[in-house]
Amino acid sequence: MRLLTIELDRPRCEGHGLCEEAAPDLMHLDGNGELVIDVPQVEAGTPEARAAAAAVRVCPVAGLRLA
Amino acid sequence: MPVSQVDLFADEVLLEPYATHGELRELGSVVHLPKNDIYALTRYDVIRAALGDWETFSSAHGVGFNPMVNEALAGTSLASDPPDHTALRAALTENLTPRALRGLKEQINARADALVADLVATGSFDAIDAIARALPLAIVADLVGFQGDVRDHMLAWGKAANQVVGPMNPRTAESFPIAGELYDWCAGVRKADLVPGTIGHGIFEAEERGAIPPGSAGPIIHQYLAAGVENTISAIGNIIALFAAHPDQLKLVRKDPSLVSSAFNEVLRFWPPINVWGRETTRDAEIDGVVIPAGARVAVLLGAGNRDPRHYENPDVFDVTRNPVDHLSFGYGVHGCAGQGLARLEAHAVIDSLARRVDRLVVGEETRVPHNITRSIDSLPILEVVPA
Repeated sequence: MRLLTIELDRPRCEGHGLCEEAAPDLMHLDGNGELVIDVPQVEAGTPEARAAAAAVRVCPVAGLRLA
Repeated sequence: MPVSQVDLFADEVLLEPYATHGELRELGSVVHLPKNDIYALTRYDVIRAALGDWETFSSAHGVGFNPMVNEALAGTSLASDPPDHTALRAALTENLTPRALRGLKEQINARADALVADLVATGSFDAIDAIARALPLAIVADLVGFQGDVRDHMLAWGKAANQVVGPMNPRTAESFPIAGELYDWCAGVRKADLVPGTIGHGIFEAEERGAIPPGSAGPIIHQYLAAGVENTISAIGNIIALFAAHPDQLKLVRKDPSLVSSAFNEVLRFWPPINVWGRETTRDAEIDGVVIPAGARVAVLLGAGNRDPRHYENPDVFDVTRNPVDHLSFGYGVHGCAGQGLARLEAHAVIDSLARRVDRLVVGEETRVPHNITRSIDSLPILEVVPA
């Protein structure tokens, strides 16, 4: 089993929230509009990993990475 | 390397670019355009990769298509790359991010709804003046803190500021004096000229506390006006025109209001306000087996990527259920549209209000005026509103 980590470039995050729409079970914007990664690691090949990849993909400022 | 004799900035291409985009896209993912002395990126994957690779496809030598505009925009976040770009971008967006704008949502919704409600009652009007221009002009003016005469100049200044990003054709030459008025005004504007408590005022405070280099506040005010007015007007006009042409799609949003966001993504994908934007290569860049030489001007064909059948099924169909959240119209990466949060608030408000209040818009003929950068409808007569 291979674990992938969701990495956030915090200064780059502007809180557009598209990642939350793509992966609501893995991350959310808190009451201040700051992104919280609730599930920082996902197992490769699972639906969670696919959701994480979708969240990375839709970030408009390329502030997320899955590694 | 595929070559085409197309002039990307010819009137007929600016008015209706998608057939030309399609021809270029089929020639190759990179096409050399000698008439414009540029290399065009035409396919979705290549465009998205280039936008994500600022180290190769640089903005630091300008994003426009003539040397004068690139010189004028030097030192802005638009025309710089990290590390210089980082602090400028942070200052530009500090009060413009969705989290900073959350408090404005209700007010923007109320403004948009009042405009649409008025028009449903009136029945006959020009949609571009009455909604597409009225809403962003009022919102940007209040948000940035413009007061007095400058409010009357915003429309003409915003249009000219985008026009001059094009190549040195007659449109650009005619617009430079007007764009210059905005440029000069921004070079002289002081904190006291803007309303306290606004984003514009805040930029001067950021300059005072040293968060951005001395003299950068004026150019940021320039960006708010240049980007926030003309391009949002285009997007909102496109919303109205596309829903007038596709009443079935408006009905889908009325039945399922959760489609509002998807619908705006589709409007942007289908008719991007900006179809072509510039970069410069910092090194030889090999793409799909062809090499763009270092120091070349690159045209990123956002609109062509949005219609690439390799990425979107039936790309020439307008479908509000598609939710193309990865469309290219806001760009992508470090230079991704800084005002997209505000644009979404305005556009979602208009779509939501139209869907609730309007069953069908009966429209006359839309007029367009060729513009080097922003493709928008100049006038759209509404002849009859059939209320929902």
